[in-house]
Amino acid sequence: MTLDLTHWMLLSALMFSVGLMGLLTRKNAVALLLSVEVMANAVNLNLVAIGQHRGDETGQVMALFGIALTVAEVVVGLAIIILIHRLNKTIELDEISELSG
Amino acid sequence: MTPDNYALIILFAPVAAFTILGVCHPIRNRGALAGWIVSAATFATLVAAVSLLRFQWENPTHVFRHEFSWLVVNGKAMATVGWHIDGISAPMLVVVSMVALCVQIYSQGYLAHEPPSHRGRYFAWHALFVFAMQSLVMAPNLLQLFMGWELVGLCSYLLIGYYWRKGEAGKASVKAFWVTKFADSFLLLGLIVLVATTGSFDWNIPTGKALGDAGGAFALAGILLFVGAMGKAAQMPLHVWLPDAMAGPTPVSALLHAATMVAAGVYIVVRGMPVFAASTEVMHFICYVGAITAFIGGCLALLQDDIKKMLAFSTCSQLGYMMAALGANAVDAGYFHLTTHAFFKALLFLTAGSLIHAVHSNNMSDMGGLRKKMPLTFILYGIGAFALMGFPMLSGFFSKDLVLAALQKDGQTIPLILCLGGVLITATYMTKSFLSVFFGEAKSDAHESGGHMMIPMLALGVLSVAAGFGVEKFSAMAGAENPESWSQLLGHFVGLPAIGVGLMVVGMAIAVMRHRGARIGLPVAFNNWVLSRPVDRFYETAWRSGLLVFARMIAWVDRYIIDALMNLVAHVILNEADRSRKIQTGRIRDYVWYIAMGALVLAMIGIFGEQWAQLFGMGGGQ
Repeated sequence: MTLDLTHWMLLSALMFSVGLMGLLTRKNAVALLLSVEVMANAVNLNLVAIGQHRGDETGQVMALFGIALTVAEVVVGLAIIILIHRLNKTIELDEISELSG
Repeated sequence: MTPDNYALIILFAPVAAFTILGVCHPIRNRGALAGWIVSAATFATLVAAVSLLRFQWENPTHVFRHEFSWLVVNGKAMATVGWHIDGISAPMLVVVSMVALCVQIYSQGYLAHEPPSHRGRYFAWHALFVFAMQSLVMAPNLLQLFMGWELVGLCSYLLIGYYWRKGEAGKASVKAFWVTKFADSFLLLGLIVLVATTGSFDWNIPTGKALGDAGGAFALAGILLFVGAMGKAAQMPLHVWLPDAMAGPTPVSALLHAATMVAAGVYIVVRGMPVFAASTEVMHFICYVGAITAFIGGCLALLQDDIKKMLAFSTCSQLGYMMAALGANAVDAGYFHLTTHAFFKALLFLTAGSLIHAVHSNNMSDMGGLRKKMPLTFILYGIGAFALMGFPMLSGFFSKDLVLAALQKDGQTIPLILCLGGVLITATYMTKSFLSVFFGEAKSDAHESGGHMMIPMLALGVLSVAAGFGVEKFSAMAGAENPESWSQLLGHFVGLPAIGVGLMVVGMAIAVMRHRGARIGLPVAFNNWVLSRPVDRFYETAWRSGLLVFARMIAWVDRYIIDALMNLVAHVILNEADRSRKIQTGRIRDYVWYIAMGALVLAMIGIFGEQWAQLFGMGGGQ
C-alpha cells in the first residue's frame, strides 16, 4: 500500500481535529498554545502533501513560511501567557474573563 | 474702463470690504479703521456709479446689459445673473452709493462712543448692505432682484438689532423681519406665477394683444408682487414695522429705512411695470394704496413726539406718493420723487441724529430753542423740512408737483385729493417739529456736532436743493416721452402746483397757530384711536392666535410623533444590544466554540449550499 494524497489529508484532518479538541477542552494556557501549534502543523502538512501531489515546490515553500510564522506566534503567545501569569498569578483560563461584555 | 468694469467695481468693492471685515477680526475690532475700509469701498462704488450715470445722462435711453447663465439644466439656463444698466438703474446706483457713503462717514462721528468691535460689526453689515442693494438695483431679472431684496432685508434685521442689548431693539428687528418676510412670501409666489406663465424671470413681458389669455395670470402675479413691495415700502396696512425699526441707530434709519431699502419696494414696481401695467385693476390698486398711505401716514406723523418715529411715518407717506404716481402710469414722477426723497429724507434723519446726539433724547418735547446752539443743524434741518414740504425751487417741490400732475392727468380724482390732503398735513407736521425743536425756550445745553457728522449733512443738503433741477434728465431716463425742464415746470405754476403750495402754506399756518396755543387739529377721538395702534393689535392677535397655535401644533406632532418614532427605534436597538452582549463571556473557550461553529456553518454552506438553494426553490438563474 502506497501513501497517496488522501491519506496525507486524512492525517491532516485528524491532526486539526485533535488540535481543536484540545483548544476546546484544556484549561491551561500553555496547553492551548500547544493545541494551536498542532492545528497549524496540520495545515503545513496539507500544504506539503498537495505540493507533492501537484509536482511543484510552492507547497513546501509556503510550509516553511508557515513554520517561521508559527514560531513568531508562539513567542508572542508565550509572552502574553507570562504577562497573564504576572497579573493574575494563574494561567487557568477559566478564572480569567476580563473581556466579558 | 468699460461699463463692464464699472459694474464689477460696483458689485465687488463692497463684497471685498465685507469679506475683509468678516474674515479678519483684528481689523474689524479696530472700529474706526473698519469704517474707513468700508467707506473707501463705497467711494469706489460711487465713482464707478457716477461714471455710468454720466454716460447715461448723455444717452438716456441706452441699455447696457450683461448676463451670465445660472442654474443650467439640459443646456438651457433657468436664470441669469448679471447687470442691467439703463436710465432707471444708473441714477439709483448713484443715489445708493452717495447716501451710503454719507451715512458711513456720519456713523464715524455718531457711533464714536460705541465699543470698537461693535462698530466693526456695524460697518461690516453696511458693506454687505451696499452690495445687496446694488445687486438688487442692477438686477437684469426679477430673480436676482429677489436675492438682493432678501439680502437687504437681512441687513435691515441685523442693523435694527444693533442695540440688541436694549430689548426693544431686538423686538423691533424681529418684528421688521416677520412683517417683511410675510410680504416677501407673496413676492415669491408672484415670481412663481410669473415664471409659470412666461417661462422666465424677465420683467419684459408681452403687452397688448400678444398678452392673449394670460392676462389673468399677469394680474395675479402683479398683485402678489405688489404685496411684497408693500411690505418693503411700508405701505398701509403693512407699515407697522417701520416706526419700530427706528430702534436702530439713526444713520441706519437714514440709509435703510428712509433713502434706499424701503425705496426698493418702489423700485420693484418701477422695474416690474410691464407686469403691473398688464392689468388696470392692479394699477388702480397700487394708486389707491399709495394715496391712502400718503394721507394716513401724514396723519400718524402728526401725532408723534419721537422725532424719528415722526420721520418714519413721513417716509411711509412719501413712499405712498411714489406708489400713487406709479399706479397712475407715471414712472418718471414716482421715480424722480424716489430720488429727491432719498436725499432730503436722509438729510432729515442725519440732522435728527445730530439733534438726538446733542440732546440725548428722541422726543421733540425735550428739545427746544436749539436754533442758536446748533445753527448749522438748524439750517440743514430747515432745508430738508422745506424740501419735504414741497417749498418752491427745492427738490421736493418739483418731484411732488410731478406726482400730483400725473394723478390729475390719469384722472385719479380720489387719490389726487388724498395726496393734496397729504401735502397739507406734511407741511403741518414738519413745521410743528421745526418750531418745537428749534424755537421756544431752550431746554438743554446742546452743542453742534463734529466734522464727521457735519460734512455728510452738508453734502446731502446741497443735493436736496440741487437734485430738483435735474428733473428733465431724470424724467427722460425714466422713459418720459416729453420731459419738461424745471423752468418749464415753473412756467405752468398756475394750477396744480399753486394749489399744492397754497395747501402747504395753510399747513404751515396751522402749525404756527398751534405753536402759539391755538387748538386746531384732528379730532381727539381719532387721535386716541390711532394712538392705540389698531393695526398692530390686529397683527398681534393674528400672530398669537393663528401662527403661534399652528406652531404649537407642529411642535406637538414633531415631539410626540416624529421624535417618538425615532426614540422607539433607538430604544429597541439599545435593549437588544444590551441583551445580546451577554455572549461576550470573556472566556476563550466560548470564543473558540463560536469560531469553530461559524467555520462549520460556512463549510456546510460551501459544500451543500447549492443543493439547499434548489431544495427551497431559490436556485438563482439556472
